[in-house]
Amino acid sequence: MAHRDWLGLKQELPGNRRLMLTLFSFLAPLLLWSAVSYVPWLWHPLVHVTVPGDVDYFTDDMDVPRADYDRELAKVKAAGGTVPEGYAVNPVYLPPPHKVALAFYTAFTTEPRLPNEPWLHESLAHSIRTICWGFFISSLFGVPLGIMCGTYRFFSRLQEPFIEFFRYLPAPAFGALCVAILGIDDGPKIAVIFIGTFFQQVLVIANTVRKVDPALIEASQTLGASGWKLVRRVVIPASISDIYTDMRILLGWAWTYLIVAEIVGTMSGITYFINQQARYRNFDNVYAAIMMIGVIGFSSDLLLAWIGRIIFPWKRKAQSSKSAPSWWAKLLPKKTSPQPSQA
Amino acid sequence: MSAKESTLPDYRDLAPEVATRFDRIRQRPVLLSVQNLEKKFGTNGSTHTVFDGITLDIHRREFICVIGPSGCGKSTFIRIVAGLDEATGGQILLDGKAVTGPGHDRGMVFQGYTLFPWLTVKRNVMFGLEMRGKDKFTAENEARQWLDMVGLSKVEDSYPHELSGGMKQRVAIARALANEPRILIMDEPFAALDAQTRCQMQSYLLQIWKKVDVTILFITHDLEEAAYLADRILVLGTNPGRVVEFIENPVPRPRSPDQFVEPAYLSLKLRLEELIHPPVEVEEDKLPMIKLTNAGDDVE
Ligand SMILES: Nc1ncnc2c1ncn2[C@@H]1O[C@H](COP(=O)(O)OP(=O)(O)O)[C@@H](O)[C@H]1O
Ligand SMILES: [Mg+2]
Repeated sequence: MAHRDWLGLKQELPGNRRLMLTLFSFLAPLLLWSAVSYVPWLWHPLVHVTVPGDVDYFTDDMDVPRADYDRELAKVKAAGGTVPEGYAVNPVYLPPPHKVALAFYTAFTTEPRLPNEPWLHESLAHSIRTICWGFFISSLFGVPLGIMCGTYRFFSRLQEPFIEFFRYLPAPAFGALCVAILGIDDGPKIAVIFIGTFFQQVLVIANTVRKVDPALIEASQTLGASGWKLVRRVVIPASISDIYTDMRILLGWAWTYLIVAEIVGTMSGITYFINQQARYRNFDNVYAAIMMIGVIGFSSDLLLAWIGRIIFPWKRKAQSSKSAPSWWAKLLPKKTSPQPSQA
Repeated sequence: MSAKESTLPDYRDLAPEVATRFDRIRQRPVLLSVQNLEKKFGTNGSTHTVFDGITLDIHRREFICVIGPSGCGKSTFIRIVAGLDEATGGQILLDGKAVTGPGHDRGMVFQGYTLFPWLTVKRNVMFGLEMRGKDKFTAENEARQWLDMVGLSKVEDSYPHELSGGMKQRVAIARALANEPRILIMDEPFAALDAQTRCQMQSYLLQIWKKVDVTILFITHDLEEAAYLADRILVLGTNPGRVVEFIENPVPRPRSPDQFVEPAYLSLKLRLEELIHPPVEVEEDKLPMIKLTNAGDDVE
């Protein structure tokens, strides 16, 4: 095991190496960010002025480009005045990691500046609510329709050509229309997420259902299944775990529609928070909020994957290609069932 | 060849007890009657005739094996019997009634197991019973009995992916039989199993068939399997598919692997070999062979 190649073609790596690489995939960007933030000569294109000295336009706490600072410094030195003082910094839009880490906490305690402005937790809750409604309404229609299209060629031919066309229309383009129809509150936002999700959902699920092994359907027919019973007892259970996986991927896509959806009408949710904080130049809060979206999306997917392993016990065998769409799924403990000997 | 022929009896010479057994079988009612069955693929223009004019009668509780070169239409034939494909001509009568679509009176076992992966072994066997409207309690009891018969009571709560190939195929047989079909149709059911498991499965199947009132239509490409299992062996030919011969198996029952050296068995096998693998003259010059390495004279 230990001597296996790190770069073995299509070979799974041993567990400790998988874990190491996983950690590294997060650590590498973090290290790069830290280096740029904490090593003074790495980038730091600005000088943060602490003592303005005799330079007229320098003020306390001002950031000036290093070239300007050096030029003014030389001038003042030549004239024999009080020299300014300062230290090299990065632009304000690149806060160092520890500040962002701190902001994960402080962003929640930062009091809104305006009356009626929501706290961060309220903004996040609003965003999650919007996503959930959009995805729920889409699924309410998309899943049954997808199953119908996947099962019956009739519905497939009747629906799919139009849906195939419609899915090329970008959901944000309907923003203004949605506002005109649904008002400026959450309605149009949910509608944008619905439009972004629904059409993909029908097609993806129809495809998944079409992939059900025809041999299983034939086997059930020879056992006396037919009609709606066959759909309910064979087609749906045969595809349900793959549909579940599709839904997880689709939910990920819904998150990508969130920001455009929240710009529609009156800006709301996490987008509003990010926007306001950027305006106040609290870039640490901005980064923290963006990362929170990632953390929420990612952890909810992990949770759903875990739930999937519980509700679909027959999928708990060594990786079928579709049951594990993400690299992290390989980190989950595998159920090793003792293989009974032949016959 | 001639030396062998002189020592072996004719495969058509039936021992008295075998002959009387066939007499008894012929007096049983006809269960499945295939009349002038024809199947063509392709619609307009190019049609491909898979087989034409297949006519035969199968009696109740017979064990029929179907053999023939690959592509001769064995699978197509039994798919039509099962109602999964439609014939383009002729008809099939089961107990005198024409077969139109799939139904639970014809159980099917496929080479690829086709167990429902989302159901436990027991629920797989219960499937057909529930489809026919039996309540859960009855279905469960009956499923248990069938699993007991194939010796799989211990794994009734396992999922199919936890079973070996042989066990899966036993579940598939139990699932098909639980529906009490008139005829059990099997398409190369043991072809994917290793040799040892296949032997076990063959004797399992014979034991089950002894206990259950069912007719079996069994496809195989393994001549020994056919000779070991069948009452009669249907030999299909190719281009177009047709019945070459419907052979009465001269090997007496009960069967056991010990019989593999008996004259009756050997003569039957010889005949099947002749029918399935007719001597081909390999024209050596026409084989596109490129000499990649210099083979020494001693290679041959
Ligand atoms: N759906 C189909 N469309 C066209 N040709 C088919 C189809 N299914 C089978 N065939 C043809 O029918 C012939 C018999 O196939 P099959 O019954 O599978 O043979 P066997 O089981 O004896 O090997 C083959 O030549 C095959 O090409
Ligand atoms: Mg075949």
